Amino acid sequence: MNEKNGYVELRNINKSYGDFQASRDINISISRGKLAALLGPSGSGKTTILRMIAGLEHPDSGQILIDGKVVNDVPGSERGIGFVFQSYALFRYMTVFENIAFGLRVKKVPEERIRDKVDELLRLIGCEGLEKRYPSQLSGGQRQRVAFARALAPDPQILLLDEPFAAIDAKVRLELRTWLREMISRIGITSIFVTHDQDEAIEVADEIIVTNRGRVEQAGTPTELYARPATPFVARFIGNSVPVANYGSFRFFEDAGEDSLGIVRPEFISIFKKGESVQFAKSAEEGTVEDIIFRGSSLEIRVRIHGNVLSALRSFNDPEIRVGEKVDVFLHRMFIIRGDEVYPALNQSLRTESVFL
Amino acid sequence: MKLRNNSGPAKWILILLVSIFLAVFLILPLVYILMTALGRGLGVYRAAVTDPYAVKALLLTLRATLWAVAVNTLFGIAAAWCLTKYAFRGKKIISTLIDLPVTVSPIIAGLIYVLTFGRQSFLYPILDSRGIQIIFAVPGIILATIFVTFPFISRELIPVLTAQGTDEEEAAALMGAGTWTIFRRVTFPHIKWALLYGIVLCTARAMGEFGAVSVLSGHLRGKTNTLPLYIELLYQGYDFTGAFAASSLLVIMAVIVLILRIFLEHRGKKELDLHK
Repeated sequence: MNEKNGYVELRNINKSYGDFQASRDINISISRGKLAALLGPSGSGKTTILRMIAGLEHPDSGQILIDGKVVNDVPGSERGIGFVFQSYALFRYMTVFENIAFGLRVKKVPEERIRDKVDELLRLIGCEGLEKRYPSQLSGGQRQRVAFARALAPDPQILLLDEPFAAIDAKVRLELRTWLREMISRIGITSIFVTHDQDEAIEVADEIIVTNRGRVEQAGTPTELYARPATPFVARFIGNSVPVANYGSFRFFEDAGEDSLGIVRPEFISIFKKGESVQFAKSAEEGTVEDIIFRGSSLEIRVRIHGNVLSALRSFNDPEIRVGEKVDVFLHRMFIIRGDEVYPALNQSLRTESVFL
Repeated sequence: MKLRNNSGPAKWILILLVSIFLAVFLILPLVYILMTALGRGLGVYRAAVTDPYAVKALLLTLRATLWAVAVNTLFGIAAAWCLTKYAFRGKKIISTLIDLPVTVSPIIAGLIYVLTFGRQSFLYPILDSRGIQIIFAVPGIILATIFVTFPFISRELIPVLTAQGTDEEEAAALMGAGTWTIFRRVTFPHIKWALLYGIVLCTARAMGEFGAVSVLSGHLRGKTNTLPLYIELLYQGYDFTGAFAASSLLVIMAVIVLILRIFLEHRGKKELDLHK
């Protein structure tokens, strides 16, 4: 197999449900062994893409390729796919053992091999001893693990997961994310999962495909998406982005003209108590602290400046700031959206200062 | 919660009202049937019940009921399956049409078949030339019974299948399971109790059907008389003991059905709780 071509590829895929166009000219390529995330707001067409790869939906036009072969007319059950449903879709009237064994029984695998395989998977997911239980007798996390084992039992080449963490409470979710990431990399199976949670995508995936209104906005590694958003949508969607219309009134930023917009993320901003910073003393601007929110590992400071409320993070080790206090705000950089373009803009004082020093 | 713990007068008045209502409209007539049936001694009762015409009527009723249940079970599963698992045009229309027999008066159902298969119908010469008789014959009775019990089973299944969704079936299909395997191992366990419950309701309704069957039967004693029709015949002949004795057969069958129903509801609920 050519490394340039993806193991799973979608070419010029279109799909409509009545008047609603769920997929518009989708082109995706995912390499073998990678863990990819389809990330987008609800209704952006990410689940449709996943279901088309699985053969649960059929594109109106375009090609789906797996391992270089067009599989449009291959039924889902023969595409070598394991699918984990959003609500797990475990068979309620079967025990955990029978759930995992189902795919093997359908394939008429000998009973002894089924037993070995299910035992092995139960050990893998850490659910030994639960084989006689019914899905309703499991916790959310256990159900997800069983769904995962059931999908893996027939040895698929591709694992598809639809919002795998959506139905689990927050604490277990974090644990399961790490677990799933480890499992998938240990097995080395090409995996694609759908999520609307960017933290989840960024933490788990090797590659993120951002979808919006049926289109693929950008595909790339989490770092790429963060550092170089390709479209206005990605710039606004990734990170805790705040749009700033009058970004030209910030010192050392130039207005790019009408209909342009600045995008500011918390990590682009530094906040100092008056006199705290020597480095940015001249270039910082004054803002008023509106609110302080405890974020566990840090404090989120919401500060009003030029009519905008921007968020910034501050460590507990920094000198304390109070609500209503006047502070120095320094904006390191921002993204500027103009029409369909996005480009980064650096605080110009940084450039001049570096020349000075 | 507060309402339930309230032991004020409202509770007792309501209980009393319901009890009086049930007593007057249900228990009293039932007792009266049994009393009249046995009123002239056990011997007369036995004679009335074992009368060859009574036995024939009972057997015909059972036959029509079995047919109706069998056909409507197949149809009910098929209809419920296609209405809940697929999306297609005209789904609403089909769903509404299924309910039609409940809203239409049974007598009209009978007339529909008389018009469709009777002498004035264009179908009549075709059927007649092959020696097939539908109206004023057993096939007509069976058709009428099927018609009036049409929605009973599908209506029990549709909510269960809707609640279940299609995920489990999709999961099974993706693992390569065929339609039959999916039905047998995934869908059927879900609908098992609802299906049995529907069958019980369908049986009860089929046994008691009068109107539609009356139009189509032709009232040939011993040939096309079902139990309800036979009862009417006796009643109009002023044979009250015979009529009430035959009625008591229907009552006994109804009680059996009722007990089955309670049992099924109980079992079904228990299993549903386990697999929620």
